[in-house]
Amino acid sequence: HGHLTKPKKGEELHVTFILKDGTQKTYEVAAGDSLLDIAQAHNLDMEGACGGSCACSTCHVIVDPDYYDALEEPDDDENDMLDLAYGLTETSRLGCQIKMSKAIDGIRVALPAMTRNVSNKDFD
Amino acid sequence: MTGTSMHPIRVFVRWATTQRKSVSIIGSGPSGFYTACRLLSKSPIPLDVTLWEKLPVPFGLSRYGVAPDHPEVKNCEQTFTEYARKYLYPGVDGHTFRFRGNVTIGKDLELNTLMKRQDAVILSYGCSGDHKLGIPGEDDTKGVFTSREIVNWYNGHPDFAKSEKLNGFDWESVRKVGIIGNGNVALDLARVLLSCRENDIWAHTDINPFALSAFRRAPIQEVKLIARRDFVHSKFTNKEYRELWELEQYGIRGFISDQYFDASKIDLTNADRVQKRRVEMTSEYLKPFNERTKKNYRKFPPPAAGFKKHWEMDYLKTPLRINSGADGKLKSLTVCPNILSADSKIEPLAYEEIDYDMDVLITSLGYGSSPLVDFPSLNIGFAKNHVYNDRGMVLNTQGSIIPGLYVSGWIKKGSSGVIASTMADAFEVADMVITDLRSVASSKSRAIDISGVRFTTWKDWEKIDLEEKARGKFQNKIRDKFIDTNDILAFLRE
Ligand SMILES: Cc1cc2nc3c(=O)[nH]c(=O)nc-3n(C[C@H](O)[C@H](O)[C@H](O)COP(=O)(O)OP(=O)(O)OC[C@H]3O[C@@H](n4cnc5c(N)ncnc54)[C@H](O)[C@@H]3O)c2cc1C
Ligand code: FES
Repeated sequence: HGHLTKPKKGEELHVTFILKDGTQKTYEVAAGDSLLDIAQAHNLDMEGACGGSCACSTCHVIVDPDYYDALEEPDDDENDMLDLAYGLTETSRLGCQIKMSKAIDGIRVALPAMTRNVSNKDFD
Repeated sequence: MTGTSMHPIRVFVRWATTQRKSVSIIGSGPSGFYTACRLLSKSPIPLDVTLWEKLPVPFGLSRYGVAPDHPEVKNCEQTFTEYARKYLYPGVDGHTFRFRGNVTIGKDLELNTLMKRQDAVILSYGCSGDHKLGIPGEDDTKGVFTSREIVNWYNGHPDFAKSEKLNGFDWESVRKVGIIGNGNVALDLARVLLSCRENDIWAHTDINPFALSAFRRAPIQEVKLIARRDFVHSKFTNKEYRELWELEQYGIRGFISDQYFDASKIDLTNADRVQKRRVEMTSEYLKPFNERTKKNYRKFPPPAAGFKKHWEMDYLKTPLRINSGADGKLKSLTVCPNILSADSKIEPLAYEEIDYDMDVLITSLGYGSSPLVDFPSLNIGFAKNHVYNDRGMVLNTQGSIIPGLYVSGWIKKGSSGVIASTMADAFEVADMVITDLRSVASSKSRAIDISGVRFTTWKDWEKIDLEEKARGKFQNKIRDKFIDTNDILAFLRE
């Protein structure tokens, strides 16, 4: 589970996760690490069932609107999986697709209450 | 290996106040395995978890349902493997995990025995039956298959991989294929059948080579997906739908008649994002490549040689009967148009018959399920493809909770939901089991005797897994599956 790069001195970036019970956890991380890697390395409740291949939606996060626009737009594959994320919001993203960078230093994301599927019509 | 005597003293002392408990889970698909993972990671009481599986190998529909060209979806198996390894020997938190394959509950071992000797039993045995249309010709026409037969066949399921009905079928004469249904399984089937000759998609996968070569012998030109409702009620998800459109890079083109899809007539004011994206995707992809406005619909230009194969989404039809020739082989499917009433009920216009010529018909109506043989004697409620339950607590036929018996996954709700939703469901059920186990004072844990059964263990599976990967590597594929239970057992005896 989640291997992180150690940030170089002076190049540390920060990310805050807001857990399901409201607790906030801030970590010092390196550029390039994905939110999924970070969450798993710290044993947060983010399943990442497909191992970060953009094929499961179990790494859904809700991004603080203040940071949302600083992210590159989701691509088709991510949008297809977001379709299936439970409790989707306007600023939902997949944790495995967000890589830390200077542009989003300090980003805050909330873990949704549940990662269950919205619809039951998808696989039958 | 039950009881605390096998465990290091440190563990014993730490848990001396909370008696260990035993849990059995029936089925090792995503629901059974995710239930096990959650129990092992969250239970404060040390547990002996046993996962029982009918097949000699684990993972259910992750191995035998998910399409071979979607290996990333099967990555959940890595998580399952991590947990299995971590708890194969009693670890710091005192849990143990055991896999017992090749044991059919209800046949080799009674559910009743498990319920008497375990503190909790969870039914996670999924759906392994077929739904039927119930129309003439369905059961006795050559060339009519269910989606489950075809999927199990191409995934190398031991009960289907060597089937004469499938392997012996005259695939050489198959030009037109009809698929009834437009859920993701139907789209998987369309994609496999249309793209099977493309080596960059298939060469490295673990698709059953016999099925692949049969599909490749078929000069398939057209696949028609036939649905009862209209476009807005399509059942596929956008991921699988896009994949089908993107086959245009191989000269495989999609089509929907403007009778069934007219973007200007679809009211999107109250539509959700899924519907909006689906409508946009359809409008764009229906346009010729160079006329598309958004660049994400122009990623994969079609070949200069043009299109050689087609798929079509057909809507608002009710299948009436299947017609065959004197040789018993499929000739056509007779359907009639439907209209949808204001409250979205289907009204077939039975007087207006249409014949679709086809060489193979696949019914893709969802996987059916059945009760275990000992349900009636235990008075366990079962109807409409699922076990009666209240949020995962199994109910008897009168609707009362049966203590200690739970259900998760497809057998809880019927055959729908992706692995992500199956996982969320399994977690909820496991959390409830954990809470309940804490309030049960004494443990009923007793040894279960399966000495008469040739069962497989997790270590056996790891041997099989290594062998499959090694054989695959030799052929430049991710895996070469064993497709016969006898071969598996013989290999393990070596
Ligand atoms: C064709 C197909 C393609 C799919 N593709 C995708 C996809 O791309 N992405 C995605 O997210 N989801 C996909 N799904 C959905 C996904 O497979 C399911 O959500 C998931 O497998 C359901 O898990 P389950 O454990 O409830 O059932 P299953 O996976 O069916 O597991 C049940 C297990 O129980 C065993 N069993 C049955 N009876 C007994 C018994 N009596 N005793 C012991 N063991 C028993 C079975 O052998 C099986 O291993 C697909 C489904 C199908 C059918
Ligand atoms: S981990 Fe599966 S989509 Fe992100």
